[in-house]
Amino acid sequence: MLSTRDLVAGYDERTVLDGLDLDLPTDAFTVIVGPNACGKSTLLRTMARLLTPRRGTVLLDGTAIRDLPTREVARRLGVLPQSPLVPEGVTVADLVGRGRQPYQRWWRQWSSEDGAAVDQAMALADVTDLADRPVDSLSGGQRQRVWIAMTLAQDTDALLLDEPTTFLDLAHQVEVLDLLHRLRSERGRTVVAVLHDLNQAARYADHLVAMRAGAVVAAGPPREILTADLVRDVFGLACVVVPCPVTGAPLVVPAYTGGNAPAVKDPDSSTASVPDARPSTGDAANPLAGSHPSKGL
Amino acid sequence: MTTTRRPSGPADPTSPAGSAGLSTVADAGSPGADGARLSGRSLLRVGPVSLLIRRRAVLVAAVLTVLLLLAVVLSLSLGTPYVAPADVLRALSGAGTPYDLVVFDLRLPRVVLAAVAGAAFGVAGTLIQSVARNPLASPDVIGITQGAGLAATVALTSGMAAVLVAPTALVGGLLAAVLLFALGARHGLAAQRFVLAGVAVAFGFRALTEVVMLTADPIDGLRAQIWLIGTLAGKGWTEAAWIAGTLLVLLPVLAWAGWALNSTALDDDTARGVGLRPVARRIGLAGTGVLVAAMVTAQVGAVDFVALVAPQVARRLVRAERPPLVCAALLGALLLVLADLAGRRLFAPTQLPAGVLTAAIGGPYLIFLLLRGRRRSS
Repeated sequence: MLSTRDLVAGYDERTVLDGLDLDLPTDAFTVIVGPNACGKSTLLRTMARLLTPRRGTVLLDGTAIRDLPTREVARRLGVLPQSPLVPEGVTVADLVGRGRQPYQRWWRQWSSEDGAAVDQAMALADVTDLADRPVDSLSGGQRQRVWIAMTLAQDTDALLLDEPTTFLDLAHQVEVLDLLHRLRSERGRTVVAVLHDLNQAARYADHLVAMRAGAVVAAGPPREILTADLVRDVFGLACVVVPCPVTGAPLVVPAYTGGNAPAVKDPDSSTASVPDARPSTGDAANPLAGSHPSKGL
Repeated sequence: MTTTRRPSGPADPTSPAGSAGLSTVADAGSPGADGARLSGRSLLRVGPVSLLIRRRAVLVAAVLTVLLLLAVVLSLSLGTPYVAPADVLRALSGAGTPYDLVVFDLRLPRVVLAAVAGAAFGVAGTLIQSVARNPLASPDVIGITQGAGLAATVALTSGMAAVLVAPTALVGGLLAAVLLFALGARHGLAAQRFVLAGVAVAFGFRALTEVVMLTADPIDGLRAQIWLIGTLAGKGWTEAAWIAGTLLVLLPVLAWAGWALNSTALDDDTARGVGLRPVARRIGLAGTGVLVAAMVTAQVGAVDFVALVAPQVARRLVRAERPPLVCAALLGALLLVLADLAGRRLFAPTQLPAGVLTAAIGGPYLIFLLLRGRRRSS
């Protein structure tokens, strides 16, 4: 339902995406990963029409998104930007209510549908008990759930989130990801998120998109595409990929470097290879092995 | 749905009596009413129109209206000759009293002008501050006042006919607005750029005004100086009609603005995400604000401390996260009526320009509110 065709986008002089073609599956949890400055946020912002592409098209259900009125897009596509500004003194219910904006006019400021959608969104994101609290008094994890509730109140089929777990502790990260998972599995929403943590991406995503330098390197189910080769190609990181003991999803474990050899290699360099990335005493067949005292764990 | 932790709302004061069946008022705070959970608000429904209204804003507006009416009666009453409030009321009711001349012809025009101009300053300040995202922004910070001031100074020192001073000042104010928009347009009239462009415009026009003033005849220079401070002396129906007319024409825009102000607290990405067009919205709000500011400044001069104080005081009274438009207008009107009254009476027979008094009344009150707010939040 969300696709890009020959997408060229960037900021000022810098071109970040150069001719990107991508199709995101419907009713799936898609996670976009890639190193810093690879263009994953730019891609998300362009798909969410927060950034106007220089060339190319973003298609929403086959229609160019720039040809659709922004209010209509807002009824079909919810967006959570990376670090939204928290308005001072606004209560949780009030902020979640702002998600109803695309359904409101100045002469029709509230309807029963608005109320029902806000109640449902707050229940889904588990912020009902916080309804009367000012958003700026909440913890980071609570705040993030409130923002997600606001986009849920928009009642859209698809939801785009730009690094929704950044700045949260591990427990809150899992909480947010569980919520996104529920949206997909219980509500049939299409969820697209940019995430930093590969292992969380592998664990939660139905569809993984790996990006590097403004281009898609691989896309598909994590269990099929997430390999040590891919991680080296995309992040320039030597690693092993093992099945997660809890879920069986691919688990990326960085190679041990002894702290004195760079784990990050330039992925463009053809000489980059796993054994070079660790002390020479290691076993070339197992990048995890090294002089680390806990080897073999 | 969880149980309500909020006491159900009191009988709503906004319910228009006698129009039962036409309108329904629901307490938007209780989950029973359309499931809405917006604390402190009520839903006012008239046919297809549904408006969310802060209950506290209704209360504050009611109190301000009463105070404004008292201030108007007081202003009509005090002076030489003194007219007892009862006689003022009798004269206003059209009973025909010996005081009709004093009340209707001498005092009422000026009091009405004070109320209308004060309301306009309150509206302009609210709109400008919301776009600037800065409680210190006002027409004289972003250069509108200086534009009007330069034009008025040129008019007053070049021997232009008195009736042409206000129109010339209006042109000057609008010119400053055009310059402000041209300079601030890049990056979509973003808050910081808007304020910086305005400060630059203000300094430019102020410097030019001083050049004109210094090269002019001293008597003309003094007249220009008084105009710049802002005074209601010798003004009345004509000026009031121009300002009220502007507000009336802009009424549909202001109705939209009251709603649009709600979302100015959202950042641009979030606003776009919920289907808003933040740049168009800012241009609309700022354009309306500077238009009102240019008109009212052209008519009464730079009494614009009202525009700075009224929105912020109103916001604190209503306890909202942004200045409320109607309450700011009422408070502006009250402030200017009181300032003009004080200017007339404090050192009578010497009259102080209202512009001096607005600062004297509004400043300390704003400081008081700031101090009180800090203590509460610490």
